Amino acid sequence: MRNLLPRRALAIAVPLLSATLFMAACGGSDDDSPSGGAATSEAGGLVAIITPSADNPFFKAEADAAKAKAESLGYETSVASHDDDPNKQSELIDAAISRKAKAIILDNAGADASIGPVRKAKDAGIPVFLIDREINATGIANAQIVSNNAQGAQLAAQSFVEAMSSKGNYVEFVGKESDTNAGVRSKGFTDVISQYPDLKQVAKESANWDQQEAFTKMETILQKNRDIQGVIAGNDTMALGVVAALKAAGLNGKVVVVGFDGSPDAIAAIKAGDMHATALQPAVLGAETAVEQADKFIKTGSTGAEEKQSIDCELVTEENADEFGVFGRK
Amino acid sequence: MTTTTAPAPSEHDTTELAATARRLSILNGLFELRAFIALAVLIVVFSLLSDSFLTVTNVITMTKHVAINAVIALGMLLVILKGGIDLSVGSIVGLSGVVAGELLQGMSIGVLDVVAYPPVWAVIVLCIAVGMLVGLVNGILVTRFRVAPFIATLGMLYVARGLALLISNGATYPNLGGSPALGNTGFGFLGSGRPLGLPTSIWLMAILAAAVALLLVKSPFGRWLYATGGNERAADLSGVPVNRVKTIVYVVSGACAAIAGLIIASELTSAAPQAGETYELNAIAAVVIGGAALSGGRGTVRGTLVGAFVIGFLADGLVIVGVSTFWQILIKGAVIVLAVMLDQGQQRFQRRQGAAASAAAAVTKPASH
Amino acid sequence: MTAVLRAREVTKVYGGTHALKGVDFDVAAGRVTALFGENGAGKSTLMKILAGIERPTTGQVELDGEVTQPRSARDAADHGISIIHQELSLCPNLSVQDNLFLAREIRGRTGAVDRAAQRAATTAVMRRLEEPIDPDRLVADLRLGQQQIVEIARALLQNARVLIMDEPTSALTAPEVAVLFRLIRELTAAGVAVVYISHHLDEALEIADDVVVLRDGALVATAKARDVELSWIVSHMVGRDPDALFPDREPEIGEPVLALDGLVVADPQNPHRLAVDQLSLTLHEGEILGIYGLMGSGRTELLEAVAGRITPVAGTIELGGEPLGTTGIRDRIARGIALVPEDRQRDGLVQTMSVGQNISLAGLARFVRGLFVNRDTERAAVSKIISDVTVKTSGAAAAIGSLSGGNQQKVVIGKALLTQPRVLLLDEPSRGVDVGAKADIFALVAAQARRGLSVIFTTSEAEEALHIPDRLLVLARGRLVGEFRRGQITREDLMSLSDGGTAVPTEARERAR
Repeated sequence: MRNLLPRRALAIAVPLLSATLFMAACGGSDDDSPSGGAATSEAGGLVAIITPSADNPFFKAEADAAKAKAESLGYETSVASHDDDPNKQSELIDAAISRKAKAIILDNAGADASIGPVRKAKDAGIPVFLIDREINATGIANAQIVSNNAQGAQLAAQSFVEAMSSKGNYVEFVGKESDTNAGVRSKGFTDVISQYPDLKQVAKESANWDQQEAFTKMETILQKNRDIQGVIAGNDTMALGVVAALKAAGLNGKVVVVGFDGSPDAIAAIKAGDMHATALQPAVLGAETAVEQADKFIKTGSTGAEEKQSIDCELVTEENADEFGVFGRK
Repeated sequence: MTTTTAPAPSEHDTTELAATARRLSILNGLFELRAFIALAVLIVVFSLLSDSFLTVTNVITMTKHVAINAVIALGMLLVILKGGIDLSVGSIVGLSGVVAGELLQGMSIGVLDVVAYPPVWAVIVLCIAVGMLVGLVNGILVTRFRVAPFIATLGMLYVARGLALLISNGATYPNLGGSPALGNTGFGFLGSGRPLGLPTSIWLMAILAAAVALLLVKSPFGRWLYATGGNERAADLSGVPVNRVKTIVYVVSGACAAIAGLIIASELTSAAPQAGETYELNAIAAVVIGGAALSGGRGTVRGTLVGAFVIGFLADGLVIVGVSTFWQILIKGAVIVLAVMLDQGQQRFQRRQGAAASAAAAVTKPASH
Repeated sequence: MTAVLRAREVTKVYGGTHALKGVDFDVAAGRVTALFGENGAGKSTLMKILAGIERPTTGQVELDGEVTQPRSARDAADHGISIIHQELSLCPNLSVQDNLFLAREIRGRTGAVDRAAQRAATTAVMRRLEEPIDPDRLVADLRLGQQQIVEIARALLQNARVLIMDEPTSALTAPEVAVLFRLIRELTAAGVAVVYISHHLDEALEIADDVVVLRDGALVATAKARDVELSWIVSHMVGRDPDALFPDREPEIGEPVLALDGLVVADPQNPHRLAVDQLSLTLHEGEILGIYGLMGSGRTELLEAVAGRITPVAGTIELGGEPLGTTGIRDRIARGIALVPEDRQRDGLVQTMSVGQNISLAGLARFVRGLFVNRDTERAAVSKIISDVTVKTSGAAAAIGSLSGGNQQKVVIGKALLTQPRVLLLDEPSRGVDVGAKADIFALVAAQARRGLSVIFTTSEAEEALHIPDRLLVLARGRLVGEFRRGQITREDLMSLSDGGTAVPTEARERAR
């Protein structure tokens, strides 16, 4: 299912064979450098794409989609990640300003902490298009395009309730508790599930969005109580940890597992019957929309849309799993 | 011109000093057991709070969870005995899993345009070799280039994590089950096999612990290691190959971390490049709770295992009892600090005990030399 | 005569070592009290207690008749007690003035350091010491003697009522010592009490008004300086007739074993300086060769080069006719060279290991069978060594810290002997060891030499240098300045020779040839 890119094979062969770790580090780091220099058209100019991290498939899909779209529209791109560090985000925006970027596509590092840097870019005459996460201010960014977490959570919870036939014991895994989305999703789940008195929450744990932690905690919860019919998790990574724990306990396929995000691994698990459903965040669509609006703004001075735009999540189940690719419809 | 002699001590002083020495030795005995006491207290408290804590299956499950940290901690113990620290183990856990993922999904061999599917045993050997390689770099940085262990292994923490991300391209490898057609099935055995009724990881922990204990207690290397950690200059002047000892401990630590990474990847039948983040801290905590001195030269396998059990049972017990996540984090921190405070207390008592005992001895036979 | 500062029944226990055993000690205003004692007699410990650096285990310190145990060096300084340390306690990375005013900086109105005022005060105190050192120079750039003068200047600046000088002249030249003595006289005339400790007994006796002798941590004699002579001091320091301590021996000297030719060793701390300069010597089978040299004479670097710790810059080392090349410690131990380092705490012992494990550490290879150490043969060899070198311990499993200094030294020697060496190198083996253990150690060395072991030992104690070795070499500033058979040289000649050419250099060298 995965493509075997030659570069990846090289990246593993280098440390194994030549033992020169630093060479490997240099050899593979082409993501951060601006690309398409030769392909600059007269429309041209730089689009800076800044996302939280490169080691998360979701953010990577987002960045890849924005990069591909911008390059197809004739722009140069630079892709960087701020690791959820507002200070690093600010530095990256400074860099974009000094390189006279035409637009910044930003998945920001905090609803309040990002207001200043975004305003700084605006003051420098560079339009900013926010994706995935909002900031607590309007009129600064040119667009804020986010997926509707509350709607997605309700969608997932609805499907969960149906699969559970509205009754039974269930466990909820919450994401990193300091993350806004963790709270929004958990509330979305609760809003739906609390309407069904026969659904009983027997445990609620945070697993910090992490697979191994969800695995360990699920195993422990099963030690306390095997009478569990469903698990709903704030993201797919935790849901997949739960699936592994259920397999180890011989309960796979007997427990309804629902996740959130629509990651390729989760979709594969749904196809395999290990997971029931996930709410897919259309990261690709959001990123592409942001780049299209940036292009329109650069050319016409207007995006032609409201600042705040929300994109609905889509429910992925066994029936429609084949229709979806990496964080978007195929 | 006057000449005087040293005053003779009184009877009273002698008996008092001897009594102090005795009292301190009893207290010291209690402190020696402190990690066991902490573990016993945890078990009693959680058993009272939940019926499902002290059951055979739960103890096995918890021990399985403990095993991952314990395996890393055994390697860390060697590094800490040397007086160093290895911050790169968490990243090696991630790197090892990713390499396993890459190999199990087929490794294309550069010029030949062939995709190789190595058998599982070869995958395991190669992953451990990768861990040892990172450890070797740590060792060379520390010995040849005189980089402080904290800095060298901090650097390798980032390098190894970066490599894991580069190899995986940031993505998770799903379905590490292999396929019968390619002859590379069986990887799941490490995480979910149960030879003789116990999970494989528990066996691995037991075998590694026995091997490390044997190494420390019986082999000349063990003696060299304790000497190097206790006083590197004295060890060097006694002909101990100090640099070789220092390098080997990092290599072993890297191998242990790689094994832990394989267990995790096997349990989840998937490998994520970010696996193992902050695991180095859990391993250090286990070693320290087990009574090892961060300054080197002092520590045992038994203590480290107990330390790993304290941390693991505490984490799982809090989940079973249903304590909120924030409290779980806070309580874990408090237990670590408490354990180290007890350790400092013990060292103070040992010093006072030594002083009191020798004072008593000297007073009774002043001609000792 | 009034005592400003007195110690009352002071005892101090370190681990298993009794540094002080109930000492009464008075310091009188306006007088110089010279404190005598061998290494390990407790002089430095007593001074550290008076200066607030250490706390007594029992007993108390009285200042002006009131019990005041200084809580720290700072507290003692506030009470008017200053100390010039035996080990230099300067920060080499800071300038002279920063060191002089460390933790007592002169502050301007804004609270910032008033560097101009500090610089003026520094220049003034340096003028008093007749040593024009730039206040802004780094201490690291000064030579050892100048550093010692900075140390003295720091104590002077504190306007102390009691000034303790622990080996203040170990690195000074004769003219510098003369300046210091004049200054001490000025201070006592102004009512300052001075405590003076020096290895140079005659020098100390010259400046002293009162004499106090410590031995094995106890005060054994006090006198007025004008009433006593050097021999009185020595006999009280040693506690018996010096000759009885060092029994005569009839050496059986065999063939040459170790030969050094033109050896040049750089100072590891300061590669621009040569610690050992063009040194050649030959050691014979069964011979005990003494090397007399003060701190910084290059004696430690010489032994470490032979043991393989330092690689020499030039010259050859031959063992049994074969050149050793640049092999390391491990190889030299295997070939039969064993070193007992000068600082046993820092270089000799592993405190976290037991007595037995320390003893077997260097010779562990002998007990390895297959993968593991054979603990039965190890245990047997260790207990044989413990009885051979007469370590007083409860057993091989005892903690190192439970032993006295002398017994710890015997453990280090035992460790070296367990490697079955042909050549044993002892760097100041009697440092910090009480008299009884010292006699044991030298008896042990003599017994080993009778069995054919060749020994080189270094010492900075004239008594040892004169009585122990079959042949004595005098080392000063990395060069051999004299060679004598036993009984060929007097204490006075030895002292002036070892000053390395400050007192009577040419004459002494000629006499040496």
